[in-house]
Amino acid sequence: MKMTRRGLMSTMGAGLAASTLAGVPALAQARSIRHYWWGNPERDKRTFAVIDTFQKAKTDIKVSGETIGWGDYWTKMATQTAGRNMADLVQMDYRFLFEYVRRGALKPLDEYVGKSLMIADFDKGPIDGGRVDGKLYALNIGSNSQVIVHNTRVFKEAGIDTDLINWTWDDFAKSCETITSKTGGKVKGSDDLSLMIEVFESWVRQNGREFYDKDGKVAATVEDVASYWQFWADLRKKDVVRSKDKTVILDIPIVESGVAVGDTAMSHYWSNQLVGIQAAAKDKIGAAMVPHKKGGQPGQFIKPSMFMSLSRDAKDVDAAIAYMNAWVTDPAITKILGLERGIPASAKVREQLAPGLNEVEKVSVAYFNAIASKVGPLPLPAPKGAGEVRDAFMRIGTDVVLDRASAKDAAATFVGDAQAIVERAL
Amino acid sequence: MDEAARVAHEMRLKRDRRERNGRILKHLFLITVSCVMLYPLFWLLASSFKPENEIFGSLTLWPSQFQLDNYTKGWNALPISFTTFYINSAIVTVLSVIGNLISCSFAAYAFARLQFTGRSFFFALMMMTLMVPYHVVLIPQYVQFLALGWVDTYLPLVVPRFLASDAFFIFLMVQFFRQLPRELDEAAMIDGCSPFKIYWSIILPLSLPAMGTAAIFSLIWVWEDFLAPLIYLNDIKSYTVPLALRLFLDQEGQSAYGQMFAMSVLSLVPVVIFFVLFQKLIVRGIATSGMK
Amino acid sequence: MRRFLARNAPAYIFLSPWLLGFFLLALGPILASLYLSFTRYDMVSAPRWVGFDNYSYMFTRDRRFWKALEVTFTYVALAVPARLIMALGVAMLLDKGLRTIGLYRAIFYLPSLLGASIAIAILWRQLFEANGVVNQVLAYFGIQGISWITNPDTSLYTLVILAMWQFGSPMLIFLAGLRGIPRDLYEAAEIDGTPRWRQFTRITLPLLAPVIFFNLVLQTIESFKTFSSAFIISNGTGAPADSLLFYTVYLFNEAFKFFRMGYASALAWVLLIIIAVFTAIAFFTSKYWVHYENERD
Repeated sequence: MKMTRRGLMSTMGAGLAASTLAGVPALAQARSIRHYWWGNPERDKRTFAVIDTFQKAKTDIKVSGETIGWGDYWTKMATQTAGRNMADLVQMDYRFLFEYVRRGALKPLDEYVGKSLMIADFDKGPIDGGRVDGKLYALNIGSNSQVIVHNTRVFKEAGIDTDLINWTWDDFAKSCETITSKTGGKVKGSDDLSLMIEVFESWVRQNGREFYDKDGKVAATVEDVASYWQFWADLRKKDVVRSKDKTVILDIPIVESGVAVGDTAMSHYWSNQLVGIQAAAKDKIGAAMVPHKKGGQPGQFIKPSMFMSLSRDAKDVDAAIAYMNAWVTDPAITKILGLERGIPASAKVREQLAPGLNEVEKVSVAYFNAIASKVGPLPLPAPKGAGEVRDAFMRIGTDVVLDRASAKDAAATFVGDAQAIVERAL
Repeated sequence: MDEAARVAHEMRLKRDRRERNGRILKHLFLITVSCVMLYPLFWLLASSFKPENEIFGSLTLWPSQFQLDNYTKGWNALPISFTTFYINSAIVTVLSVIGNLISCSFAAYAFARLQFTGRSFFFALMMMTLMVPYHVVLIPQYVQFLALGWVDTYLPLVVPRFLASDAFFIFLMVQFFRQLPRELDEAAMIDGCSPFKIYWSIILPLSLPAMGTAAIFSLIWVWEDFLAPLIYLNDIKSYTVPLALRLFLDQEGQSAYGQMFAMSVLSLVPVVIFFVLFQKLIVRGIATSGMK
Repeated sequence: MRRFLARNAPAYIFLSPWLLGFFLLALGPILASLYLSFTRYDMVSAPRWVGFDNYSYMFTRDRRFWKALEVTFTYVALAVPARLIMALGVAMLLDKGLRTIGLYRAIFYLPSLLGASIAIAILWRQLFEANGVVNQVLAYFGIQGISWITNPDTSLYTLVILAMWQFGSPMLIFLAGLRGIPRDLYEAAEIDGTPRWRQFTRITLPLLAPVIFFNLVLQTIESFKTFSSAFIISNGTGAPADSLLFYTVYLFNEAFKFFRMGYASALAWVLLIIIAVFTAIAFFTSKYWVHYENERD
């Protein structure tokens, strides 16, 4: 640490100069937009390739790509939103879309549709998934649906031949028992989905109700919640689902899920995650629907897995829309993107991609086609506070899983708390 | 050999033996503790050589097959090579450590050795900055740096460190500076030394253990700092190593844990080297401060 | 005025970087958060003044606030002494004699280097799960262990163990402090035949007091603010059953997950006051047990 003072000063000077340089925007190009997404190495590679392709075609627009993993994405997003320095285009998730739209952080896209945003021939359902209160706030850049991921080897060995698209909760429970007994308990039937509000949502809809009604109130009843938690409690009693020790770890990463690790034969995920699960699992995986209720309504639904949204702070809106449009229509770009973010909403793009799909991607496309007629409509947009309700569901459900509360008592607590949360968020 | 000498000799032998036994016991104890301390590191190292689906599935430490893939592929797995991330981290870290050491020792010298109006008031304010949960000042700070036009540069990461933003180091140095005998300053003052001269030629050289400790902590914490780079850096080309490590993980999708572990192991290397080099400074402290 | 300047100028010059930093960079955001604690602020729309609503909600209606306090206080009460005793003990072992201490020092510091990384979270879950390494070791002694980390009654203790295990920083500071104690004091004591533990209470403890004080205050502050380890091990949720709902984890979720930055700011100021009270008590009592060389008469 021996350093003359002059040496020190010049190092400091050089360092500061270098560091400021990194932040100076390129002045040569007049127009620039920022695109912010959450990613992983694979997605980041594809997205930066898209940016390159776009910039080659539109040399007057500079796109700077900003990326970080899911866990940190929202912290940074909130900070930038507060500073009124959001990226022009941000990736949105179904869970957070309503929170951001209802607080006024996003701009509607309706006025560009048909003019600079050419999505007229896209599937209506998936596009409507980006509508809140009648306005289109988010462009679907991939659809997904819930899926019961299962280990095909274990299923075969246990001799389970149920129709996995049309099966019921009874079939599901029986399959869990068969798998557990056939493997001598080495592989349990399924992950315990007690704390997955996403599955519970289907359960409520099967009972003929939405989780939130059109006023944003909690419509799910205490009986809905209690019966759901009781269903899993019964499976736990029979010891045919994953150990409660694993269940109570919330938001467990894919790689630690039962199917990935090999503890269980089934887990619940979203269909665009199939690729990620297959990468983590040793055996070949397959896709099944969320079980149906005998004589019930369709519960599962197809929703946008990811959106691209125009932020309130966007400056060069035309450039941003041009980029957005290229994302979903330019064949060179859609080819790079593939199915990585979900199933594209454009039939044309799906056709283009069909020949080049790998095995897991084929599974997910086949699954998508198979469920098309079995799913229900998209649920109504969630109210502010839905994220917190999701947390409450997991937290209160934990008491049931750990036998610290009965399903009935906990269900009553949850419905009360959920209602209070939604009201407080108004 | 007379009786007294024999007894003395025996006692010395006995003491030597006891000390040797003590040393062996001490070593045994330290080695056991070391194993416990090192287990997680072995685990990390082993995981970095495992194929992806073995990291979580099996409890055995030993990889079924050693593969270097995670290292070779991991280095270039992201759109920008890790070479760039290391250079960025190095720039931020070196500047920050220098800034911390200079500015904090300045402030600490004032608090510990000089008398001035408002000393305890300012000291209390300084301590307060340690207590504020940083998540609530994140947004006002961001707004502030945005107004200065510093967002997406290294300035928000480096400049505060030249302004003694890290009160931990001030307090640490204060505690050490206060331990030096007052006669030192008094004698120097009588010889006509300026306060700066006293700081530079007396206080600093006598506080090498403290400065070494501060340098090590400062380097490690800045090197591993994640939140500030996350908030202030947008362009992936300017990302630091810890930020880059987070690009490997997608809890909701496809992750590359093996590569992340491999790069984590590599990211520890500079810190460990620095630690080994700088801890000598702490040891050397005895020679210089044993003067009293 | 001249005399005031002559007396204070050198000190203020040395203090100037800190003064600049504090008044230009630090103070603004701190005051802003104080203001925000009296508002409802979702980070998207402008903050709206609500007076003391946030504070009264916290104390009268917020069950999780009390839970977070309970978790945090329990943790502080256990982790701070455990970590300090560990750090001091090892530092004293390493201070004298052995030629290989450099190696041990590096080894003992390594866990702290891993900090609260994702690797630690995964590892900790694997160590303390039902058939994890810890239970395998316990099985040798015929003890049937539970899944420590997912049991709400025991999960907090796994974090206390993590804190103990990462004792590197206080250890290093203790070592630096021990190095500052003149060797001849011990030699003189040795000649006088003073027993070892007496040397410890008569020489080591008093001369190390400023450093012990530093570690005590800092570890207490840091432990109250513990965030990363709890956040990462519980995947940001405080699970299972809120048993890892550390105060700052709760605060973070209120702010960034549930868009209640105003409420989170109020939470922050309550925590700040709690920490300040404890620190003030420490400083007040330090008069009786911490003596500094440059103030000894």
